[in-house]
Amino acid sequence: MFDPYRDRSGRALAALLLFALALAVATGAAFAADPSDAAPSPVAYDDVVELGLSSETDALMAGDATLPRVQVFYSQLQYVVGYNGVESFASALAADRTERQFGYPIAAYVETFDSSRPGVTDEGLFAAELAGEWTPASEAVYVVGSAARSPAGETVVPFRDRDAAAAFVDDHGGAVIGWETLRGRSFDTDTAAVVRETAPRRWSEADRRIASAERRSDRPVSVVVGEDAPTIQAAVDDAPPDTTVVVPPGTYEETVAITKSVTVSGGGTGVDNGSQSGATRLRGDGNGSVLTVRAPNVSVTGLRISGTGTQTRDPEAASRPPEAGEAWDTNIRLGYGHGDAGVKAIGASGLFVDDVTIDTEASGLLLREGSDAVVRGLRVDGTEEWQDGFMGIVGMQSRVTVTDSAFVGGRDGVYLHRADGSVVRDSSFAGNRYGTHLMYTGETLIADNAFRNETFGGITVMTRPAGNAIVGNDVRDSGAGIQASGTRTYVGYNTLADNDLGFSTSARGSLYEHNVAANNGLGARATTVVPSSRVVANDFVGNDVHADAGPGALRVWADDDRGNYWEGADVSAELGLAAPGERAYRPTAPVDAALAREPAAILASESPAATLLDRLRGTVPGARTGGILDPAPSPEPHAPERAAAATDPDGGPVYGDWRGRSDNGTAEPDDATAEVAA
Amino acid sequence: MTGPKRGRVGLAARLRGVDTVFRRELATVARTPGYAALAVGLGVALFGVVAVGGGGATGFVPAIVDLLLPVEALVPAAAVVLGYRAFLADAATGELAVIRTYPVGVASYVAGVLLARLVALAVVVGGPAALVGVYVGLTAAPDTGIFATHAGVDSPLLYVRFLAFVFGLGAAYLSVAAGVSAIASSRRSAIALGALVLVGGVLGGDLALLESLSAGTSAAATPDLLALTPNGAFRGLVFEHVIGVAFAPETDFVPTGRALASLAGWTLGGAVGGGASIALGRRVDAAIERVRSDE
Repeated sequence: MFDPYRDRSGRALAALLLFALALAVATGAAFAADPSDAAPSPVAYDDVVELGLSSETDALMAGDATLPRVQVFYSQLQYVVGYNGVESFASALAADRTERQFGYPIAAYVETFDSSRPGVTDEGLFAAELAGEWTPASEAVYVVGSAARSPAGETVVPFRDRDAAAAFVDDHGGAVIGWETLRGRSFDTDTAAVVRETAPRRWSEADRRIASAERRSDRPVSVVVGEDAPTIQAAVDDAPPDTTVVVPPGTYEETVAITKSVTVSGGGTGVDNGSQSGATRLRGDGNGSVLTVRAPNVSVTGLRISGTGTQTRDPEAASRPPEAGEAWDTNIRLGYGHGDAGVKAIGASGLFVDDVTIDTEASGLLLREGSDAVVRGLRVDGTEEWQDGFMGIVGMQSRVTVTDSAFVGGRDGVYLHRADGSVVRDSSFAGNRYGTHLMYTGETLIADNAFRNETFGGITVMTRPAGNAIVGNDVRDSGAGIQASGTRTYVGYNTLADNDLGFSTSARGSLYEHNVAANNGLGARATTVVPSSRVVANDFVGNDVHADAGPGALRVWADDDRGNYWEGADVSAELGLAAPGERAYRPTAPVDAALAREPAAILASESPAATLLDRLRGTVPGARTGGILDPAPSPEPHAPERAAAATDPDGGPVYGDWRGRSDNGTAEPDDATAEVAA
Repeated sequence: MTGPKRGRVGLAARLRGVDTVFRRELATVARTPGYAALAVGLGVALFGVVAVGGGGATGFVPAIVDLLLPVEALVPAAAVVLGYRAFLADAATGELAVIRTYPVGVASYVAGVLLARLVALAVVVGGPAALVGVYVGLTAAPDTGIFATHAGVDSPLLYVRFLAFVFGLGAAYLSVAAGVSAIASSRRSAIALGALVLVGGVLGGDLALLESLSAGTSAAATPDLLALTPNGAFRGLVFEHVIGVAFAPETDFVPTGRALASLAGWTLGGAVGGGASIALGRRVDAAIERVRSDE
């Protein structure tokens, strides 16, 4: 024990003084050193968290094109952020949100291509034969306005050395500028908001495709089966191109191959007039596909098709790794594109399938190799257990337009693989594994569909495509409502009720707005490690848990002063404890989560301790881990009618008003979901 | 305490006086078990804040964000506890009267007592706070290891800066509380005065700022006014030199010099005030006594 009266306590005192001196020196050093000075070295790009353009578009996956990459160390963010495309980084720096969420860049490196043999592909995309080198962004020079482009548009090509940049300009045009000049430029980078704007145009584009398909299929009658020819196959063989083969009601037991541009017109599926006898039935022999189309501009209308084989895909091809020289996804194409189907189309662009019902053991409609098809009034009845069957529609490298169709049972209702620009709308799905399942497929519109009892989920977008619009859908009683990955995805005006999970925010640089998540086990799940999406104006009602978050930096779910509606978060406003929308809400905090079910929790959340802790929580969000913060929760639901309809057990599907239209349409007569509900 | 009579006292003698009082005061502090309890309590509170706040899981800066507001109340409270009887105790027990017979000046006495109390503050407040820093340093880690991570601007140096400001805040309150204790006449009045210092400082300064803003003071004056109160100066310094490091460089919360001068000013002011009331108190008493006996 320290005894200040002992004679030798002078030593103790001296030690104390020394200690104080050391503390003073340490403190001085703490102020003298600048923590932002420590510039980290570049890391392997595979380890960064990617933002910006998708690196998994067709051209990039095939290895032809190159996106100049950037890696950035932000002051608040523990993760190294990678941007595909220098322009993505430049736009990110210009956005206020970036600094608010991540702080400022303490180091940034760009990939420079001085000795990588840079060039431009035949398609005008930037390409480099060798990997680039990492150069501090401020030291690099940039070629802008050259012939080189990225899949998303203009691309900036960085060089370490001005001479190398000048050489590139000599070959491909453009101008060389420095970092500061580049930062000042504004780039026309597509955002999810642009996708939102284009959604109505995609809808109209689908209208045009349908109208054009209708016009194409309206051809003069040349052959009538039963009168002019004994079988459908014989009739098709006899018919001259650009004519119609009429198949009167009845049952035809045969398989048909169509190799010319004709319209095959049956008497109908027997559903419309309620009598099955009026139907034209085409029944296969249980082997292979029933109807095979290998010609452009074929129309198939008014048929009931059954008797498919049971082979869902080519099992050998599906598990085989691609060989040298083959496209990277050859195995998927060969595997998934080679099963049995009611209608199988190969290289059959302009196919029109109208008013057709398919009862299948494998796939309903299988499209591959550019079989851009319009599908209207298709109904596919798949297998009871999804493991036994396959997809309602398989679209491989084929742009598909689906409207007013129904998919019941089987594996996935609509499965699209590299089918950019497809549209799936006004259709119903029930009892599938996934309702609509996109792989490597971007720029699509998934609108106004209803999904019920989907084992895994209603809408799922895998891999990392860009620019999908998922709007106005209604998913209930399913594993998950919407799980969309990729970039620049617009998820808006969807109604997600009674699912295990409402939606996940897996797509980055995306916009999630005006969705209603009601009575789900979990309303929404934040998944990306580095937040880059906007989640605003959604309504969370009656969920067991409104939202939770995986690992990663704090997600701020609001746009300036516009947040989401969280049932229970308005308690403090109701009690007059805070102005509406003034008190931040953290759905991932235990006490705020409890508010949704127990209003008395307000007393805990209003305690001085909770208040002191919460007050500054939004500061340095990037450095903070985990959770979701809504700094400005909405006092009122944004779509109270839709929330009420979603929680009504007897209610039919509701379609969000994503185009600002007044008619809140109801389900079509041939509604797969109604059957499941009944 | 009778400086003028004894004439000029050499610097060495003064220092010896400070040293003697300092040792004696340290012994007093060391023998007060309540202070150890205070340190433990403070430590529990700080660890609790970091644990519940969650900021400490990822780094020093978010931990400091969590600690900042609770510390603004906890540290002044601890400082007032350490200071509210600093000068009263000796006066109440009569020891001050004894000390006056020794060659120790008022300044030496006040300096010795305050220095010892500041050492106590460094141990009672700095100890637990430093331990929290060590804990954060040992446990903070990114949420997931599947991506490359880096510290950003986060650094133990920022926590050391924070500790320095915490000490500055505590010193201001300790000194003022001690100074005010010199005019207390009983333990009860010392408690009342200490509470007044605590509430007045923690709430009063900011309330006065809010009031002056609503009375029409220009918003541009906010940083300068903020720096005047110990809490405002502390908060400004932490934002300016600790949390603000993670913001873009151009942020400007409070004039650093002014804020430091404010903290130092409150500390010195408390000491001077305490010294003055000890030096003059007896004369005032005597004067009052004379007035009474004249009646």
